[in-house]
Amino acid sequence: MENSIQSVPQNWYLLLSTFMFCIGVMGVLLRRNAIIILMCIELMLNAVNLLLVSYSSYAGNAEGQVFVFFIMVVAAAEVAVGLALLVSIYRNVASTDIDILNRMKW
Amino acid sequence: MGISQIIFYMLAAFTLLSALFVVFSKNPIYSVLWLILCFFSIAGHFVMLNAQFLAVVHIIVYSGAIMVLFLFTVMLLNLNSETEPHKPTLLKFAAVLSGGALFLIIIAAVRSTMPAPYVAPQLSEVGYVKNIGMKLYRDYTLPFEVASILFLSAMIGSVVLAKKERFN
Amino acid sequence: MNTLIYTACLGLFGLLAEIFNLRKYLIPILVLGLAVIFSLNLQTWNNPQTHFNGMLSDSNFSTAFSGLALFIMLIILILSGDFYTSTDDEKHISDYMAILMFTLCGALMMFSFSNMAMLFLGIETLSISLYVMAGSRRFEVKSNEAGFKYFLMGSFASAFLLFGIALVFGVTGTFSIDGIGNYMRMHADKLDPLFIVGMLLMIFAMLFKVSAAPFHFWAPDVYEGAPSLITALMSTLVKIAAFAAFYRLLSTCFVFALGKAEIVLTVSCAATLLVGNLVALVQDNFKRLLAYSGISHAGYMLLAIISLQGRTDSALFLYSVGYAVASLAAFAIAITVFKATGTESISGFNGLAKKNPLLAASLTMAMLSLAGIPPFAGFFGKYFIFSEAFRNGWQNMVFVAIISSIIGVFYYMKVIVAMYSKPANEFEIKPTFAYQMVIAVCLIISIVLGLYPGVFTKLL
Repeated sequence: MENSIQSVPQNWYLLLSTFMFCIGVMGVLLRRNAIIILMCIELMLNAVNLLLVSYSSYAGNAEGQVFVFFIMVVAAAEVAVGLALLVSIYRNVASTDIDILNRMKW
Repeated sequence: MGISQIIFYMLAAFTLLSALFVVFSKNPIYSVLWLILCFFSIAGHFVMLNAQFLAVVHIIVYSGAIMVLFLFTVMLLNLNSETEPHKPTLLKFAAVLSGGALFLIIIAAVRSTMPAPYVAPQLSEVGYVKNIGMKLYRDYTLPFEVASILFLSAMIGSVVLAKKERFN
Repeated sequence: MNTLIYTACLGLFGLLAEIFNLRKYLIPILVLGLAVIFSLNLQTWNNPQTHFNGMLSDSNFSTAFSGLALFIMLIILILSGDFYTSTDDEKHISDYMAILMFTLCGALMMFSFSNMAMLFLGIETLSISLYVMAGSRRFEVKSNEAGFKYFLMGSFASAFLLFGIALVFGVTGTFSIDGIGNYMRMHADKLDPLFIVGMLLMIFAMLFKVSAAPFHFWAPDVYEGAPSLITALMSTLVKIAAFAAFYRLLSTCFVFALGKAEIVLTVSCAATLLVGNLVALVQDNFKRLLAYSGISHAGYMLLAIISLQGRTDSALFLYSVGYAVASLAAFAIAITVFKATGTESISGFNGLAKKNPLLAASLTMAMLSLAGIPPFAGFFGKYFIFSEAFRNGWQNMVFVAIISSIIGVFYYMKVIVAMYSKPANEFEIKPTFAYQMVIAVCLIISIVLGLYPGVFTKLL
């Protein structure tokens, strides 16, 4: 089977990941449920992963794919810490609506 | 249109749709499930880009570990309620506007750059384990080691934060 | 490089200390260890080297800032002995100390990175450790919220940083900052628009991390909610590390494209100066006051970054040292007062001059240094930055900065007035020995630097 590298222009991957990144940004700004905001951040990180892999495959440069490993590492660590923080908030206030976080004034 | 192009379009449509569902599902559980599907489709893209090793790691790490953690938290804290208070319409409008503006800026940049659609001449082999391993353990040794500091810190941190104990 | 390894080992030691029942001696040992690392760090002076295939590179810039970071962490450790005294804290002390050491590792990476992977991992190591530390008072909702807010904002900004890095990688095909700089030099006249978008995204993310307006809104909440000692750490070490990384990024990678980002940086700098100083005027909570003061100081440091020419790196360093010692002294006094009075509002400082004149005088000195009044280090830091910016043709920005620093004097005076003219409350306030030492050392450095600024102006 032919590979998509030879038939799909790289621009399409750029557009796809940009669109996905923007959906993530919108989600972070639109939603108020903390756990969904966290998921939207994961979505943004995955858009970056896709972009890096496509660049690295098209240019024949493995560095981009190595960088994706580090993004995965950091995403995993971030999620662990974020969910731990969420659990400890939930113990105290029993809700994950982030507007509770706005009790602290501007 | 070749078969790989068709697969690309289907995968891309699936990725975007599931991403939209993640944002717009009312129930967090559905969001989590859609996100898992989205990650699978991204792994599909990785396969199409000849990055098979990364595709496998992606499924293991994201769908296998991260999303399971999400699901655990949602279920443990019983967060699957649909009673999320709504944001003011003005804020929603601003959110969509800023997301859209970012998209348009990048589209504009893409259009003004790269005159011809860029297609690679031959099959790239950088995604094979051998090539990635060479890069990772030869040039990127230090980041690899440093990532362990990050993990250690995150691990201790989440234990400190989430462990259930109470002192009075 | 070695500094980083030793610091990581110290962090591991902190974890192992729990097993060997060394909890009581942990802080003294760590302080000693940091002092040793501080002196070893000096060996890299005038000895530039790159390590691990161009991942990290030691330079005088990184050595100077690493020294400052080690000093700040040393002070924070000395302060932490009398800060973490509750049973819960004591149980977790070795975890906290280890996480603090790892935070320092992240900062050290940000001073000497020469590859985007190291920049990213450094920022994340610093931030993830701090999310935990900001939320470490687990049974206080405020601390939880501070940690979580910091986490959400921080990872949102990191995603932007990553997207920027990915775009820049796509255009240049490399992650090494020298490689990107070379690409820039060759294509300076006709830059790819995607490169510019990537650069701007990275700049936005860095502005977020240094809490410059309009990305500053998270800082006051986080600073207020986090434990006071961690607030001290965030407003000194984290801010300085972010600025040093920002400076390094701009001066190596993006130096030829700065014209495209000039407008963003200038607007952000002016907005930061005005917002920080104006909003600080109406604050009642001392930690929030210092947070807004920190935002305005970010504005002055941004001024050093945009006028990026000639000796701005020494200006940035001098300013960072002056700001760090004054803030640490102010926080050491504030923690003492908070502990005695049980309130974090400025009214807690009422009549401090009658009860403890020496402490009031020390806080006055710290405040004057932050406000930029001679003969303290804060004044010369500001003067140096302003004169460099003026010489590089940023007269309008210097004008804005001078106006806003005049506004700034008012809110620092508010605290001083409260101490000297308001009636005293009944609490007795006396700092412990360690705190006295820290306050004295910080203020002496501030005065010495103010009297002999030449020590640092020609350093880098």
